[in-house]
Amino acid sequence: MEIAVVDYGAGNLRSVTRALAAAGGAPRLVTGPDGLAGAGLVVVPGVGAFAPAMRRLRAAGMVEALRAVARAGVPVLGLCLGMQLLFDESDEGGGATEGLGILRGVVRRLPAGVKVPHMGWNTLEVARPDPVVAGLPEPAYVYFVHSYAVQPADPAVVVAWSTHGARFPAIVRAGTVVGFQFHPEKSSRLGARLLANLLAGLAARAAR
Amino acid sequence: MIVYAAIDLRRGRAVRLRQGDFAREDVFADDPVAVAQRWAAEGAPWLHVVDLDGALAGAPRHLDVIGRICRAVAIPVQAGGGLRRLEDVEAVLAAGAARAVLGTGALAGPLVRESVRRFGDRIAVALDARRGAVAVRGWQAVTDVPVLEAARRVVAAGAPRLIYTDVARDGMLVGPDLEGLVALVRAVAVPVVLAGGVTTLDDIRAADAAGAEGVVVGRALYDGRLRLADVVRLPGVR
Repeated sequence: MEIAVVDYGAGNLRSVTRALAAAGGAPRLVTGPDGLAGAGLVVVPGVGAFAPAMRRLRAAGMVEALRAVARAGVPVLGLCLGMQLLFDESDEGGGATEGLGILRGVVRRLPAGVKVPHMGWNTLEVARPDPVVAGLPEPAYVYFVHSYAVQPADPAVVVAWSTHGARFPAIVRAGTVVGFQFHPEKSSRLGARLLANLLAGLAARAAR
Repeated sequence: MIVYAAIDLRRGRAVRLRQGDFAREDVFADDPVAVAQRWAAEGAPWLHVVDLDGALAGAPRHLDVIGRICRAVAIPVQAGGGLRRLEDVEAVLAAGAARAVLGTGALAGPLVRESVRRFGDRIAVALDARRGAVAVRGWQAVTDVPVLEAARRVVAAGAPRLIYTDVARDGMLVGPDLEGLVALVRAVAVPVVLAGGVTTLDDIRAADAAGAEGVVVGRALYDGRLRLADVVRLPGVR
């Protein structure tokens, strides 16, 4: 499956592309809307802060392009900050910064009193059955680095939670739009498993 | 980016070696516990404690000192050096270490798998390299195992975190091996902590940009070239 990994200057994407290739995909880095054509999956990675990331996406003409591919039903995967960007807005850095608005909901700082960033291994608590989380071990550890988390308007999009001070969505899925708050590319075999599950599910869907 | 202040233990004292050479040792303090308290007071988020005598001997030699350090500071401590048996891993964790760092013993045999099964994320594996090959037994010997291959092996065995050191740079204040770090970050799907040669704030920024989860800072702290107060003010550092 051709995978377009959106490269908007958000750091080292080599481990992300490597993980997607290991999961059976054919990833390529794309820097503009033209690169999205023909992709069976569009991945929005991300480290860093929300507002600069949105500025760079906008400058690259990617905000409308990503909204359009999602509307057209092309599967989209947001990773870490990339998952947060899929939502309506974030208050990171003060004020409200508009996100991609592909999923309904907001991004808010992790609760006061807990150590931020939330950095390290933590467990997934599966909220509902989904092909992405099929066959996970118990406990299922994945690797997080983040200070903000999403608050979906519809909690039914949450496939798995994790807890750091309070419960927050670790995996969301609405139709073909999926978000991982953790870094699958740093989450060892389980991260590989989750990506492989996702790609297998998309391939099965494409074959129908 | 997590910054670890290093404390290397030899004959009960806090020392720094150059390039892992036991003949080129500088004693920085007779009381490693006082050093730990100083780094903690200056804002170190973590301590990285290596039992050098233990690494040479293949069994811990400073469990008592490690225990006293862990009791003396409120910050978490990762500790290693000579952990080649599950009992020793358990002992260093029981002494109060938040994380046990496996070295030599992790390359062969079931230690990584067994330790991770027992202790999960409280395990890290140190990969110490000389010219791209793994160095063992307190860095006194170099194997013919390439670092990347060793990394893949220990990650396949379950290692949840790697600590990568280019021995040639350790204690030399020449900057860390960012190329080796990048290769490692690409090769394995677990977080990697960078050690060896970290000297400036720019080294730490570069390590962050290259994908390191953290850096271990040693001699530069002891020499006063890096101040923890400045380090922990870097964006994203804790």
